[in-house]
Amino acid sequence: MNKIITNSEKETYQFAKDFSAKLKGGETLCLIGDLGAGKTAFTKGLASGLGVEKIITSPTFVLMKNYLANFGHIDKLAHIDAYRLSNGKDLEVIGASDYINDKNCVTVIEWADRVYPVKLLDKYIKLNCHLEKFIENLTSEELEIFNRVRDIWPKDCLEINFKSLEGDEREIEIKK
Amino acid sequence: MNILAIESSCDETSAAVIKEINGVLNVASNIVSSQIDIHKVYGGVVPEVAARHHVKNIIPVIMEAMEIGKISQEEIDLIAVTSGPGLITSLIVGVETAKSLGVAWQKPVLQINHMYAHLAANFLNNQINFPALALVVSGGHTELILIEDYNKFKKIGQTVDDAAGEAFDKVAKLLGLGYPGGPVISARAEISRKSKVESRKFDLPRPMIGSGDFNFSFSGLKTAVLYKLKEIDIKNDQDINDMCASFEQAVVDVLVKKTIKAAKNFSAKTVFMAGGVAANKKLRYELEQAVKNIGLDFFVPEFKYCTDNAGMIGIAAYYLAKEKMPDMDNWKNIKADPNWELE
Repeated sequence: MNKIITNSEKETYQFAKDFSAKLKGGETLCLIGDLGAGKTAFTKGLASGLGVEKIITSPTFVLMKNYLANFGHIDKLAHIDAYRLSNGKDLEVIGASDYINDKNCVTVIEWADRVYPVKLLDKYIKLNCHLEKFIENLTSEELEIFNRVRDIWPKDCLEINFKSLEGDEREIEIKK
Repeated sequence: MNILAIESSCDETSAAVIKEINGVLNVASNIVSSQIDIHKVYGGVVPEVAARHHVKNIIPVIMEAMEIGKISQEEIDLIAVTSGPGLITSLIVGVETAKSLGVAWQKPVLQINHMYAHLAANFLNNQINFPALALVVSGGHTELILIEDYNKFKKIGQTVDDAAGEAFDKVAKLLGLGYPGGPVISARAEISRKSKVESRKFDLPRPMIGSGDFNFSFSGLKTAVLYKLKEIDIKNDQDINDMCASFEQAVVDVLVKKTIKAAKNFSAKTVFMAGGVAANKKLRYELEQAVKNIGLDFFVPEFKYCTDNAGMIGIAAYYLAKEKMPDMDNWKNIKADPNWELE
């Protein structure tokens, strides 16, 4: 677990840019946090670190935007806004399953908690993203929820929480 | 030339019949079936719900457009359809319908960019002096486009984060005003401006207003509203109305200033406004004044051609097809492309 405080949008951007150097491809970054908490600034920094040349604009209207990246094996960045999605089926419908878990792609999902229940994400991350162990440890109720998103479950998954503190201060917590 | 046009990029299912008679373009019908009331409940367009309604509505809407437009299948020369940008699940319905009709009726099918269509709505009934500069503002886009001729255009600036319409939606959400944000914020801003009580002016930034380029940014403006709401006590309706007015003014200032700067820079003779946010009265008024002050022509489409509609798709198709009619097998090249950008 890794928690940091940034003092400006610029710092959030730089933090994400530095953080992107650790990515290998295939990761899904589940961003969770309110409006104005820094999700967009983070994604812009990340994209810059991954060598994306195009301007990262909000995916809110089209739900998913795809960019060419250039960093090691990573040649794609998928940027998804799940705010208006209600379940895993919706992610499939917009074509996200072509990107999630693709080892040459990094997928960023804003408002990921709309699709993947945080309780499940936390449990999965606690078990080191070990899928079999994770499934064994699910209650029957959780298993039912999991089965709905099974096909688009983010296997190599990081949960990133954003909190607005005083003024421009943001707390960013990365769970892996 | 007779065109059947189809639009389903977001939450309106629309079909139109466009007829050219002796070089004069005429929108014979323009049927729009809106789902706005359905999506209001969810605070935004829900992709799966939108797709289901498009499937249900599209054939009746096309039939109604043909009936009102008094055209038979045999008389159609071209089928035009929006293939992007938009919601993939919505676009697909219009695109596949157009392709199917094209094959069944043996008509060529032409793919139309939704953003180009928004600005092409200004070509109807207007004598355009080129070059023209278009400000296209909607829920998903904020772009400045230089138009050298009816079918020759390029993007010279855009938002680097949120679209202007999206900023309206997000601020409405912060203020608890529901969805969509544009109309309710404008209405409240208007009340604030007309109020007998002196309105509070909230100091909000004008993001990127002095940047050397023609790009926009609205994400930070939404965050600035968020900060203001934490800092001050919003006590009553009047305060909310005043915040709406301050916010709207900030958006309008940036859009007007950058558009005028671009118009001068590219020696435009005409300025257009297009897209859903072009329905905003304050923006319309201020941009028109600013454009007239520098002595240029100003056009904005009639309200019914500002929001998503197939009429504008047909108008765009007419100017593109006049240059080059698509081949009969062009339908094979058409695919819904949610990220189709004007270059």
